[in-house]
Amino acid sequence: MRLTTEEYKALEDIVGAEYITQDPVILESYCQVWGNKLEFGDKRHHPPAAVLQPASTEEIQAIVRFCNTAGILFKPSARAFEYVATYLARERGILLELKRMNRILEIDPVNMHAVVEPFVTMYQLLDAAGKQGFYVGKPGVGYSAAVISLACCHQEMTISQLYTSGYGRNVLGCEWVLPTGDVLNLGTANREDGWFSGDGPGFSLRGILRGRAGANGGHGVITKCSVKLYPWYADSPTQFELKRAPGEAISAAQIEKVPDNYRVNVLTFPDTESMMRAAQDIGQSEIACIVAPAYLNTGFHEEGNDEQWAKMMASPPDPYQIARTVPVFVNGHSTRELEYRERAVMAAMEKWGGHLDPAWNTEKIKAQIFMYQIWSTGVQLRATGDFMLSTQGLDGSLESQLRYRTVEFQALQPFADAGDNVHPAMGMSYRPMEHFSLGFSGGIATGIDPWDPLSFAAARQYLDTVYDPDGPCSRYSYTNRGAMMQIEDIEHVHERWGPLYDHADLWLQKVRNMLDPNRVADWSAYIPPEYSAEKGD
Amino acid sequence: MVKNDLVGIVGKENIRDDPAALEEYAGGSAENTPAAVARPADTDEVQRLVQWANESGTPLIPVSSGPPHFRGGTTPGVPGAVIVDLRRMDKIIRVDAHNRVCIVEPGVTFDRLQSELAAHGLAAYMPLLPRSSKSVLAAALERDPILMPSVHFDSTDPMLCTELVFGSGDRMRTGEAAGPDTLEQQWELGKAQISPFGPTQMDPQRLISGAQGTIGIVTWMSLKCRETSELYRAFFIPSDSLEPLIELSYHLSRIRFTGKIFIVNGLDLAAIVRQSPAEIAALRDELPPWVMFVGFEGCGLLPEEKVQYLEDDLAELAARYGLQAQTGISGIEAGQLYPLLMRSSPDPYWKLRHRGGFRDLFFLTTQGKTPGFAATMTDLTGQLGFPRENMGTYIQPVVQGTSCHCEFTLYHDPADGAASELTRRFEAAAVDRLETEGAFFSRPYPGWADVAYRRSPDTVAMQKKVKDIFDPNRILNPGKLCFAAGEKRGN
Amino acid sequence: MAWQDFEHDTQRCTRCSYCHYIPWRYIKDFDYMQGCPSVARYHWHAFAAGGKFNLSYSLMQGAIEIDDSFLDVLYKCMMDGSCDIACKVQQDLEPLQHMQELRIECVDQGYLMPQHQPFLRSLRNEDNMMLKPRAERGDWAAGLDVKRVTQESAEVVYFAGCRYSYDQELWPTAQAGVKLLQQAGVDVGILGADEACCAGRAYELGYEGELTKFAEHHADTLKTVGAKVLVTPCSDCYGTFKVLYDKIGKKLGVEVYHITQYLEKLIQEGKLQPKKPLDLKVTYHDPCHLGRLGEPWIHWEGKEYKPKGMQIWLHDPPKKYRRGVNGVYDPPRNIIKSIPGIELVEMYRTREYAWCCGAGGGVIDAYPDFAQWTGAERLKEARAVGAEAIVSACPWCKRNFLNSAEQTGDDIKILDIIELVQESI
Repeated sequence: MRLTTEEYKALEDIVGAEYITQDPVILESYCQVWGNKLEFGDKRHHPPAAVLQPASTEEIQAIVRFCNTAGILFKPSARAFEYVATYLARERGILLELKRMNRILEIDPVNMHAVVEPFVTMYQLLDAAGKQGFYVGKPGVGYSAAVISLACCHQEMTISQLYTSGYGRNVLGCEWVLPTGDVLNLGTANREDGWFSGDGPGFSLRGILRGRAGANGGHGVITKCSVKLYPWYADSPTQFELKRAPGEAISAAQIEKVPDNYRVNVLTFPDTESMMRAAQDIGQSEIACIVAPAYLNTGFHEEGNDEQWAKMMASPPDPYQIARTVPVFVNGHSTRELEYRERAVMAAMEKWGGHLDPAWNTEKIKAQIFMYQIWSTGVQLRATGDFMLSTQGLDGSLESQLRYRTVEFQALQPFADAGDNVHPAMGMSYRPMEHFSLGFSGGIATGIDPWDPLSFAAARQYLDTVYDPDGPCSRYSYTNRGAMMQIEDIEHVHERWGPLYDHADLWLQKVRNMLDPNRVADWSAYIPPEYSAEKGD
Repeated sequence: MVKNDLVGIVGKENIRDDPAALEEYAGGSAENTPAAVARPADTDEVQRLVQWANESGTPLIPVSSGPPHFRGGTTPGVPGAVIVDLRRMDKIIRVDAHNRVCIVEPGVTFDRLQSELAAHGLAAYMPLLPRSSKSVLAAALERDPILMPSVHFDSTDPMLCTELVFGSGDRMRTGEAAGPDTLEQQWELGKAQISPFGPTQMDPQRLISGAQGTIGIVTWMSLKCRETSELYRAFFIPSDSLEPLIELSYHLSRIRFTGKIFIVNGLDLAAIVRQSPAEIAALRDELPPWVMFVGFEGCGLLPEEKVQYLEDDLAELAARYGLQAQTGISGIEAGQLYPLLMRSSPDPYWKLRHRGGFRDLFFLTTQGKTPGFAATMTDLTGQLGFPRENMGTYIQPVVQGTSCHCEFTLYHDPADGAASELTRRFEAAAVDRLETEGAFFSRPYPGWADVAYRRSPDTVAMQKKVKDIFDPNRILNPGKLCFAAGEKRGN
Repeated sequence: MAWQDFEHDTQRCTRCSYCHYIPWRYIKDFDYMQGCPSVARYHWHAFAAGGKFNLSYSLMQGAIEIDDSFLDVLYKCMMDGSCDIACKVQQDLEPLQHMQELRIECVDQGYLMPQHQPFLRSLRNEDNMMLKPRAERGDWAAGLDVKRVTQESAEVVYFAGCRYSYDQELWPTAQAGVKLLQQAGVDVGILGADEACCAGRAYELGYEGELTKFAEHHADTLKTVGAKVLVTPCSDCYGTFKVLYDKIGKKLGVEVYHITQYLEKLIQEGKLQPKKPLDLKVTYHDPCHLGRLGEPWIHWEGKEYKPKGMQIWLHDPPKKYRRGVNGVYDPPRNIIKSIPGIELVEMYRTREYAWCCGAGGGVIDAYPDFAQWTGAERLKEARAVGAEAIVSACPWCKRNFLNSAEQTGDDIKILDIIELVQESI
């Protein structure tokens, strides 16, 4: 669907001719994202009517105000590397690709925060902050994830959330262009005294900024955000020399050893229970920066699928070992602190009967694990070009996670037994938060191939099982729905689960409609302004 | 009429409308005397009260703490309100030692909770010597700063999940506590009400944090606790000027140094550790102008090694800024103060000891700006004639040191009318001046709400819209925050 | 493979956008993180390799047709392969080969870029893409005392290539290459006016028939003159002879070297001795066709499959992907390092993930401003690392850098590696 000539001209006048397009060919690159097949039945959904690349808050305000006048849907994105990232609920809609807003505006090393624009990635900030002795966290989704997308709009599950937290808890203020085009500054945003608080005066409007998940572009545009920074005691990633042997592909490039001031130890225990107890002891002692139960992932993959398969056939990974192993990272501002922390880790290991498996504790392996879990080695979608984080697991105590895991694995088992469809769990990751004081967030990842009809059908069936409010997983977790909307239509999610959760859906809908009275902010990954008539209540 | 309705909800014995009670809850505001005080027993009764209030158009003022009240957040802003005194709801619903979570009702105070937690080897995250009648739940809701900045990840810490009744009369459980199961059923699944997010794409618990009861009434809350240990070390770090302490504090923040860390001036420290006015004044005059307190425990793994390395690191770090960590100064031992910090004030409130009365003002800022604010306040004492020696200062790094709570306490004799009036004027002038200099009054109590909001018209507009959703009839605590008394929905 | 054979790739492209950038783990400065000049210049994702996968998918679905816009998006690309390298860090896809097949399809179906037609006519009529007469091809060697292999056999044929043959400003460098070989005692000759285009550039435009034709011509010619070794100072020609001819199954029947490989060998053997110090801080620019695209072709024929019960795509037989590892990166650097007095500083984007000079893929012909912009960006990068000179190993790189510098007024020295060696001998 095309905009009218006048509408296009009005938008062109805002951003300039170079930064708007409605070329049908170009628009085809804004409607195909991984996960689309599972969500929409095809890789390609309808394209937007136009894509714009605004340069400033003022341009975005002007665009949004125009959308209100003209009744055009809009949706912002950074790199749009996420399910439903380019989908608009109506064809008469535009995408705002924020790539021109890519500045780190400020790093305040004294008050430990950074203010960024929407296109700045976590890795980019991590590097800039690293040069000043700070760290920001490493998301599981790889290098290109944008800071604002994570902190304000989507999820923000990080591997380091044991000590760098996540899910919006690091937001210290943001500049928010509302769906009306007005600007709302949360807390001290845009004050010359500094972006140090996102709350108040009075109650915190971060409460409508996001929850366990964000609005995914559905409640306006976050144009600036201040995020908390964490201590870092090594060089930044770009200051490291990566090494690879002659003839090795780029993907093999790694750092040679764990940086000074950091220690990595991969602890293996007699069983999962003792591993988790040790992990909890270490985590609750507040000494570690990463405790990653059963996440024995170096991030190092052979250069291709064939090579990876050959390696797996030669030495198959031992899922039993993985389930009783935990990598632990500690750091220290002083030698004293570092050594104490490492001794404490060893003490926990001994207490619970663990040992250091030599195969996983070579300098090379530890360096690989460090690079992957602290920085990134990119996103691993090589196997089929897609995967599925099924239910995003559960948030909360370890006990509940382990029980839920059993329930979901039981739901998965028939498919795994049948073969040729959903691949048995790629893994379940347990990510403790804030030294275990918020419990864990967990995720069960399964391999799927949406282009394989058997796999597609099985994935759909499996999801229908775990997403059935009357099914085996019904007593676990609506709280994090809206994070993994790629696998269930957002209206479906809210309408089916909301009533079980004190109608949180209707409250969210009221908030949404309050923020966006003219219904121009795309709700595809947020909540619809009302439920479709045919579904009813 | 009001009373009859209330009797049907909470029972006759749980209503008070005698003049003494009404005067007590009016907080000195004669024109806004409440109509009655209702004391519900459980969430059902709270909900019915709120529903009744909507039907009858009666303002409600939720109160969780006992008197004396100091900040005005629970003082009625309009006449004829009903006080919802939640102190009958005083169960410690659960202590989960494994997950370090407790669940409390509004009437639970710190000392009671600490005793219960101690039996499990746990302790609460304490603010600085709360008054003995202070509700644990209310302190968390009000964003009272805790003493341990390194684990203060978010402004809402230690709050986790809640059960609440919105001003609309609807009930909700927030965070992981949400869902169709009862708490008991959730516990059977191994859940611990430990994850605070959501449900889904909003965080309702942030909407009630700092809300002064204008959005909803919290009927229970789960909170983070921490392990406690009898092995601890505590130190004073004195300084003639504030600046080096701030530099040290920044360094400790940056490395996430564990423990209780805060800065007070000599007067506040004296008032904390001494009882009588004479003793306080004498110690104040002996103490250095500024003192940082650092105290940490041997919790977790290798406790002795832990406290030793922390002590050694602290000594080195202090020396770097020309300071010295001492176990005692001016005849007081840091080690004796430490256990006091695990409890509330033994008397009604430590701030009443020095002169019998006080007014305090507090705001958020960055640590580096506090010397400037301290200088401003000193300046103002001279300009307005407030005795400088009666001004206390408390600086608490929060949110892992990315900002700090800066608090000035103006001690005065409430029986001295002139002194009280001077203090009131001084407070007003100070708030105005400090805000102009960048102080962020994030907790806008009635004394300074107008000033707090004057640079945030966008926040005001949005908060009103949010209130219109969750308290559409504007019955919860009217006149607080930016919600003018008598203001209707849509304004 | 035909373009439709890449359907699986179009389905599996996740839109991670890694094709926009150099491999993330190699970023040294975020001001120089861009890898793809097309998307860096023209903003929209369609201009990236991932965008081309989308376009292909849409074409297959019938959602779009090949039109001027499609051609514009497809041909505003240097076919430099940066996207290919970055993608393959994470994926088993073939972004560059896919775009190549799309171009071939466009040409086969008659969707031709008007801007390219004069150059194709020149190729067909005059055996060069420089719009010059065939008869003038040997003029660059006028006065050069060197064998003409059509008359006198030589062990090594020095293949100048079209750019060196007709770009007069570059003739001294072309001549210098010959002289260095002679100085080292190499029995070298040239084809002179009998030389013809390698047709590599035509192939990149989608004219695969031309590549076949000229591959066969060169094989015949080299056989006729009895050559054993071919050395070329042009990276484009090197890549064509070494890789593209092999790709289409045409054997030249001679060993093929780029001059940097040969010079390195001669220096190591002591036959050339750079002795005169050069007080210069230089950076080396990896030409695409010598570097990542100079990696030997890997022939593979087989099928894709998934093992039972596993969601992972494999190949039978296993397929080794070209990920740029075996391009020519070190010989030029070793040459530079062997020159006394020179300081070699590396740019932020090097080796497999070097930024393109801007000349390839038909861009210098069809979109000269884009070519110049790309070159200017590279010169800026050279400046950023403190280099006084940027040294390449390809006349197309040098020409485009010179053009860019002229536009921007940048006075950084622009040299070929041959000139450095010549200066130091």
